Amino acid sequence: MSDPAADSRTFRLGFLAALETEDGAFVAGLLVTNRYGRPLEFQCTSPVRPTRAQELLYGETLRPFLLGELMGRALLERLGTQPDLLVTDHDDILDLRNHIAIPMARIETQPDTATAGPTDAPPLGRVRMGRRILSIHSAHQDDISALHHGATQVAEETDLQEPLERVRQALAETL
Amino acid sequence: MDHVAQNTAVHFDTLQVDAHALPVHLAVKLFNSGLGAGITRAPRFDVTSEDLVPPPRLMPAWHPNWATPRTIGVQFADVIEPTRSGSAMSSPYPLPSPLDSDSAILPATASRPRNRNDRRTRIDVPDTALSITDRLFFLLQPPIESLLSGQELLMPFEPFPFQYQGIAWLFSRSCGLLADEMGLGKTMQAISAFRLLLRAGQIRSVLLVCPKPLITNWQRELEMWAEEIPVVAIEGPSPRRRMLWEMQNIPVKIANYELLVRDVAMIGEDDFPAFDLVILDEAQRIKNRDSQTNHAVRGLRRQRSWALTGTPIENRPSDFVSLLEFIGAVPDHSPSDIRQLNRLARDFVLRRTKDRVLTDLPPRLDRDELLELNPAQALAYRTAEQDGVVQLSDMGESITIQHVFELVLRLKQICNFDPLTGQSCKLDRLAAEMEEIAESGGKAILFSQWTRSLDWMNVHLRRFSPLIYHGGVPSARRDDVLARFRDDPDCHLLLMSYGVGAVGLNLQWAGYVFLYDRWWNPAVEDQAINRAHRIGQQNPVLVTKFICRNTIEERIDRVLQQKRELFRAVLGDGDVSNSSLSLDARDIFALFDLKAGRGEQLRSIQPPGADEL
Repeated sequence: MSDPAADSRTFRLGFLAALETEDGAFVAGLLVTNRYGRPLEFQCTSPVRPTRAQELLYGETLRPFLLGELMGRALLERLGTQPDLLVTDHDDILDLRNHIAIPMARIETQPDTATAGPTDAPPLGRVRMGRRILSIHSAHQDDISALHHGATQVAEETDLQEPLERVRQALAETL
Repeated sequence: MDHVAQNTAVHFDTLQVDAHALPVHLAVKLFNSGLGAGITRAPRFDVTSEDLVPPPRLMPAWHPNWATPRTIGVQFADVIEPTRSGSAMSSPYPLPSPLDSDSAILPATASRPRNRNDRRTRIDVPDTALSITDRLFFLLQPPIESLLSGQELLMPFEPFPFQYQGIAWLFSRSCGLLADEMGLGKTMQAISAFRLLLRAGQIRSVLLVCPKPLITNWQRELEMWAEEIPVVAIEGPSPRRRMLWEMQNIPVKIANYELLVRDVAMIGEDDFPAFDLVILDEAQRIKNRDSQTNHAVRGLRRQRSWALTGTPIENRPSDFVSLLEFIGAVPDHSPSDIRQLNRLARDFVLRRTKDRVLTDLPPRLDRDELLELNPAQALAYRTAEQDGVVQLSDMGESITIQHVFELVLRLKQICNFDPLTGQSCKLDRLAAEMEEIAESGGKAILFSQWTRSLDWMNVHLRRFSPLIYHGGVPSARRDDVLARFRDDPDCHLLLMSYGVGAVGLNLQWAGYVFLYDRWWNPAVEDQAINRAHRIGQQNPVLVTKFICRNTIEERIDRVLQQKRELFRAVLGDGDVSNSSLSLDARDIFALFDLKAGRGEQLRSIQPPGADEL
């Protein structure tokens, strides 16, 4: 039987975000933190500009391919500290879930989610984690249990959007 | 059915043909094709389940071998997680127990935001962080508020926004001078910053050096702001101190300046333990770069250097340079160029003043009480001054600063009280004001340069149950004195010496401060006043400075007023409220019109050197 305290101490969150540069290239960054938001590891890609072949081949799916399958997966493979749950705020990045075995969630963008009271129940299929409401990939409904577990690990006042802003700031620094 | 051929003879006219019958036996088997029955029989089907072909996904099924993007990685030091006792995982620091908010000592909180997550104080990237990994390290740190929030690092009460900024500033700096005005919580900011560094695994050992009377104060503050961090004060006989210095498992050590100098000499600079962080409190103690104290602290092996002081310049720019040399901002023996110092101050010094950051702190009301000496006092004063000036003038060029200084002290003492008659205009005024303060249940702190004056007042002000706090009070008893002053409603007056009481103490329950006599340096006076006028003070603080009219006190006050410009020049405009330069030898000589020679040969006597006091 697992020790809940030890489980909490080893619980890791991954925050995956990306930036698009003015010349059409993309950089992605993945920050792994403990449950308090303390950084444990950060990986980011060098700028990736889609080739003409990729644009033709992937068409509308180019961004999910680049951000998720290509860059997101590369970042995960480089990590020394694997997260228990990956968090993003972008649908294209959420597509990475189709290529990895780690549960993923996306922060809902409704303006009221950050201000809703902690007792307000989130919509069906969504889970409140800290101050935000998170949803999962439609093809990976099992991830909901990982979300429920994560919700027990982070403090009520935690804002999961904030680490993503850190990632974007770090990415801007690397450009 | 068997078929039998019969022999037949057939004759034609021209041809005769004989026909013979031959037996033919063909085996014929009849079989049932079922065709007829099948037409009428109902069809029969077997039903089985088969998997459908997976629906096509949006992505192409063809996966070309695209090049994997290059990545940059940053690993952070292991975070030291707190643990409660009995937990399976061990940690150097147990999780502190949540404080009962009602029992915590709460300062005035009227204008402070209640939810620290509503603010985000990010850690700045220091200019010294040049590599991308160093810069990412700072950029990826969470806001200070979230680091200090709720579960991980409990705080006894909510810091002010400027304190969060101070914590973030220290956290990101390997060398820094926190020069906040007294009373803004430098101690708390330093503790919180190194607490975060310890918990982030960035540092493992901290040496905190402070004046001896402040050690208990630091212990108290550490218990309040970082109760999970083990601390030891270096004290006791030398074998015990040597053992304490060598202890590895205590992350924070506190030592006083004098003892540090002795122990560095005892252990040897090379064998003295190295520290990840060395903090100097009241860092102006190393202002003299040739002093043993300065040499001892600069010889400490360390990764980070922080200096804390409300008065980075007490006497002259070189004071400031000494502090910059300690933190490593400038090389040893750097020049004291004002313009360069001003630029360095912007890079390495964080200074906030109360009037800028504590807009809700009750005001400090200063008033100079210009008093006329009592008759016997006046007579004693005039006699002493005239005799003294004559004696000094007779000494001519052989006069030293010490001779002049002795006269100044003698005159100041008479301003306090006449030793022959016991007359004192200051005591009379003080007693009158204390009547009113005691009547309203208030508490006052009084500062004097002389313990003898304090003891004398202690006798003459018995009805206000005064308490004494000066160098003659054993260190072990000092905390009891402060506790009694705070808790005993009958104790209305605390008599303190500048030397012992001016720094580091929190006496915000006192609403009145008397400067019975003037110190040489307004910075020290302000330190004294800020024992009461500090965070937590609920009411305006009335500061009364006693100055005897037409005496040496009035002249000194005038000189000190002219000395604030240098502080402004180095640390910026608008920062002249509490610090200045003290009197130097030239100023002391100028207090008297000392002339040597006779008749037309009279000339002013100047100090032999520019030695400061």
